[in-house]
Amino acid sequence: MRSSLRTRVVRTLAAGALAIGVAVPAAFPVVAQDELILRVGTDQNLKVLNPWSSVTYADYEVYQIQYDTLVGWGPETEPIPAFAESWAPSADGLTWTFKIRSGMKWSDGTAATCEDARYTWQTVLDATAQEVTLGSDYLPPYLTSAGLKAVSCTDPQTFVVEVEFANPLILQTYVPILPAHIWSGFTLDQIGNAQAADYFKNEPPVVGTGPYVVASWESDNFVRFVRNEHYWGETGAADEVILQKFESSETMVQALKNNEVDYVRGIQPDQFDALKSEPGIKVVEGAANGYTYLAYNLYPKPIPDGGASTNALQDVAFRDALNYAIDHDELVDKVLGGYGTAGTTQVPPFHARWYVPPANPRTFDIAEAKGRLDAAGYLLDAGGKRLDKEDKPITLRMTWPSSEAELATVAEFLKEWWGELGITVQAAVTEDDTLYSLLLLPEAGGTADWDTYLWGWGGDPDPTSLLRIFTTDEIGGLNDTGYSNPEYDQLAKDQVAALEESDRKAIIAKMQEIWYRDAIYDIPYYDSELHAYRTDKFAGWRNQPSASGTPLFVFGYGGYTALTDLAAASPSPVASPSPGASAAASPEPGGGTATGGDNTMILAAGVAVVGVLAIGGIVLLRRRSSGGPAVEEDDDE
Amino acid sequence: MTTPTITASSLRAERWRLRARGARDFAGRFAKRREAVAGTIILLVFTVFALFPDFFVGPLQTAVTATGGRLDPPSVHPPLGTDNLGRDMLNRTVHGTRISMAIGLLATVVTVVIGVLVGIVSGFVGGRTDAILMRITDFFLVIPTFVLALVLAPIITDIVGPGVEVLGIRMTLIVIVIVIGITSWSSTARIVRSQTLSIRERTFVDRARAVGAGGGWIMRKHILPNVTNLIVANAVLVFAGAVLTETVLAFVGLGDPFSPSWGQTLNEAQEGGAAGLGAWWWFTPPGTCIVLVVLAFTLVGGALDDVLNPRRRARR
Amino acid sequence: MSIRYVGGRVASALITIALLILINFVLFRAMPGAPERIAAGRHPGVTAETFANIRERWGLDKPVYPISIVGEPPFVEINPENQFARYIASTLTGDLGVAFSGAGQSVAEMIGAAIGPTLLLFGLGELIAIFAGLALGAYTGWRRGGAVDYVGNGVSLVLYSMPYFLIGMIMLLIFATTLGWFPTFGMTTPGEQFASPLDQLLDLLSHLVLPVATVAIGLIGQYSILMRSSVIETLGEDYVTTARAKGLRDNRILRKHAFPNALLPAVTLIAINLGYVVAGAITVEVVFNWPGLGTLTVEALEARDFPLLQGIFLLLSVAVVFANLGADFIYGYLDPRVRT
Repeated sequence: MRSSLRTRVVRTLAAGALAIGVAVPAAFPVVAQDELILRVGTDQNLKVLNPWSSVTYADYEVYQIQYDTLVGWGPETEPIPAFAESWAPSADGLTWTFKIRSGMKWSDGTAATCEDARYTWQTVLDATAQEVTLGSDYLPPYLTSAGLKAVSCTDPQTFVVEVEFANPLILQTYVPILPAHIWSGFTLDQIGNAQAADYFKNEPPVVGTGPYVVASWESDNFVRFVRNEHYWGETGAADEVILQKFESSETMVQALKNNEVDYVRGIQPDQFDALKSEPGIKVVEGAANGYTYLAYNLYPKPIPDGGASTNALQDVAFRDALNYAIDHDELVDKVLGGYGTAGTTQVPPFHARWYVPPANPRTFDIAEAKGRLDAAGYLLDAGGKRLDKEDKPITLRMTWPSSEAELATVAEFLKEWWGELGITVQAAVTEDDTLYSLLLLPEAGGTADWDTYLWGWGGDPDPTSLLRIFTTDEIGGLNDTGYSNPEYDQLAKDQVAALEESDRKAIIAKMQEIWYRDAIYDIPYYDSELHAYRTDKFAGWRNQPSASGTPLFVFGYGGYTALTDLAAASPSPVASPSPGASAAASPEPGGGTATGGDNTMILAAGVAVVGVLAIGGIVLLRRRSSGGPAVEEDDDE
Repeated sequence: MTTPTITASSLRAERWRLRARGARDFAGRFAKRREAVAGTIILLVFTVFALFPDFFVGPLQTAVTATGGRLDPPSVHPPLGTDNLGRDMLNRTVHGTRISMAIGLLATVVTVVIGVLVGIVSGFVGGRTDAILMRITDFFLVIPTFVLALVLAPIITDIVGPGVEVLGIRMTLIVIVIVIGITSWSSTARIVRSQTLSIRERTFVDRARAVGAGGGWIMRKHILPNVTNLIVANAVLVFAGAVLTETVLAFVGLGDPFSPSWGQTLNEAQEGGAAGLGAWWWFTPPGTCIVLVVLAFTLVGGALDDVLNPRRRARR
Repeated sequence: MSIRYVGGRVASALITIALLILINFVLFRAMPGAPERIAAGRHPGVTAETFANIRERWGLDKPVYPISIVGEPPFVEINPENQFARYIASTLTGDLGVAFSGAGQSVAEMIGAAIGPTLLLFGLGELIAIFAGLALGAYTGWRRGGAVDYVGNGVSLVLYSMPYFLIGMIMLLIFATTLGWFPTFGMTTPGEQFASPLDQLLDLLSHLVLPVATVAIGLIGQYSILMRSSVIETLGEDYVTTARAKGLRDNRILRKHAFPNALLPAVTLIAINLGYVVAGAITVEVVFNWPGLGTLTVEALEARDFPLLQGIFLLLSVAVVFANLGADFIYGYLDPRVRT
């Protein structure tokens, strides 16, 4: 019978494939050959090889591994020699002279000289002068905010940089030095405009001076780096590095447990907890260089067809009172699973040198909040609703971007707490790009039709970018709230120009004090970075900075070059000397991990399902032998 | 033998008697099918849950009022475990019934209304109207409805404005209802149209036309009652499809985080890594409910179809 | 099959495609929000100029339609340079544009890279489901009332009621997490150097099993129910009763009469079903980290990448149109009633 033969053939093939599929994991080890490969997992897109288009941590990591910046970052994020061996400022601080490392070669063997540095930095100057957007425009600000004016090479080993004003930012430029002999043939449009017909994607084989360079890739799937034979320093134990994209942190964690990947970045708190008790896996909680925030619309002028729904938001006493009704510790516990720090000022504690906690931090105290509201003139009406000074009941809209789903929980809590104060909160999620447009102030052509919103900021090696957000210049740019304070603006300028660290710290401390007092935002928490890695292949994992950082996805490629081959080391078990915020603890009692019993139940259920389907299949195959009895037609009419 | 007097009231009474007998026949035939009865019972149970969730499990637990620890496995209490915010799964699943069923119901109403309207008008009027309407219907049948749904959601949200409640249902859910309605009406329209076409040719319609009845009157009084059986059977299946579609849309992230429909809970479970953590109690209760409800609707719908439309041919 | 039939069907398909191209454009432009803001993100240094530049690059600063309404005479303004014209012209020449979120890749490239994995996954899944489902349905339809009928039908109904991703999550939990038999993500082990093509094939196979099983299981339920009711109906036809009365053996009746006739509506419905399979594609691919069209669609939506979304949408719709056309032809070939 035609159909049954076909069916049987297909079934046999399927069964065969199934059998092979089962045999494969046993027969073939996951790591092939004797190459030592470091496999790193991320849930961010891997579509960018041209550094100018970098946006995400993953994009930055891709170019960090391959290229040197002019000055690098050491184990405590202090400046160390990279492309430049040494440097010195002039007496007035307006000219810097960098000595380029001699004998350095690009991965294709060409000599790496001052000309490459000059070309790279000049590209930024040209783009700024011609007002061309260079890729994503994330990299040029590192040079422009350091006041870059001109660059030149007096000889192949001497790089001279002129700046508009004295400042230390020139040593923290996160811009990769690119090979002039490859890149200089392209126009600004070709390297900066992804829509250009002849856009230069910088596809492999990539030429860089770093320890590894990209040898092959599949867009949005993986990027494969191989050892750079011409690297000037000590390369790490890994022969290859593979950066692999995962659709979700869940598949990533699974892969880590199944030894399909060695390092993962960006996992959930529950997964982090579960991994703590996994043998051979170490978890690390890194302080984040950034924070989640709740912003208030305090734009001081009325906006037709838009603006905040109540003038109360412009009153600092009102905002201050509201901030007393936010329980930061509860949010850290519930939303982050405990992996975070309660929020205070606009400089995250990650910046250990600059962070200054407020002298009188607010506590979570509903009674205090109510008292302050009453004292400020916001009284309750007969129905228990809080009225503003125009005698309108206060209803605050709250929104957050759809890309940050956990903010919904924060909103739920805020709604509850502020509800106790008599303030109604209307909470709804908004698509990311709609939110961007929604927030625009009149200076940027928008109507700022919002009251409060939740989002986050990520920082740079230097806190300047985070401090600058609240200046008057940024209104129409990143300053959505409309906050304008001449004192703050002046301090922002001063702190960049301060060359003495103690001076600078004092200025930044004052900025934090003003900011906290004026309650422009409330910062619920500084979320931690949650990473995990296997300890059975590589040793030498080193957190950067050692007290609060993670090994990879930090500044520079130090985490990669520090790795050693565990198999080649002495047989003593590697006890990682670095602290990190966690150790492999014993399983938490009553915690969230599945016990063996649960797994058995699932297994039993699974076997039952498979059994049923198998029975059906077998019976089908035996169908041919029996003749057919007449079937009863029970179609009633 | 005396001729019985025919009065309006006696005609009405006679009609009611016929209807009652028809209903009894139907009930009898329906009850003979075991799967139909099982399906009906399941649906009744869920309807009760949907109407009175507080009675069974108390008020909905939010992140703020959660009683349990993170991801507690099922035990004596909580019987179905908790999710990552400590909310009781039994509580959330039962409350989710109302939302999932409400969305399903509303979406079905929208779908059936549009579909029946288009189907009857198209089938009855015929000619160019029919051609145009069928072109539009075919078009909607061809569009990948899921991608269309993904695209329509932000557009409609933009039009109606976010963060507002209508009849106690949040706007984001109304958007889902509209989206499902827009993407599902075409198959109903097709079915109704082909039935209308066959009814149109029957003699009683010709007679009505001969007597001078207008198109609208004929559509209302003659065609509509005769497609009702078909619509009912179809509507039940549409309901099942609507629940499934809502689940998938919520799973992809278009749901409302404040309303724990089953799809939304599954989405949270997926995002939170439930399968990888072994926290099967996070997604099994809503998953099981979805399967049960859709199964029940399918069984009932299939049985209704068999009983009400005994000679239905599955032709194009 | 008459020329008129073929011609009519093809013409109808072409009109539908033309409409699709039109609607495609309008739909995605109606989406609110600004893709240039997503692409640029929020970072110190990103200014209004950056957005303006990006908009210009993507042609978003041009008027959308060829004609715009203005508030003063002549009340209508003709825009020779507009996004609509650009879109139509490029689509007709096969150029689907450059994706906003692809960092330089063209839409055709991105879709091309994603289409292979999706076809592989769904092609295999559909094939298995068709054979197994139709066979199961035929058997249970033939042997109504037996134990296999109840069990098979019951299992089919349950599977039919489950969303695909739920099946996927369960498979992942059982076979990948708990038993560790299969890898948990992706299509291949990344960056691996394989000793031989056979190794590569085996690696691919091991990644393929769970996703294909998920798709197949999800579809088997549908197809078997379909086939079952179709067979039951066919068996009630007069010619089957006649054949039995004439003394023909049951197997022969099944093979020569009932089965081919029952196949007809099943085939048609399978073709039409392809449109709905797309919904499953997206969710299954998300669960298994499968680098196909589904994953691409979800990401494109998040990034408001119009060109990419338009390209995918067009591709899928046209595929369904062709599938329906194919079903029409098969139907026309198989069903003698249509040939006149």
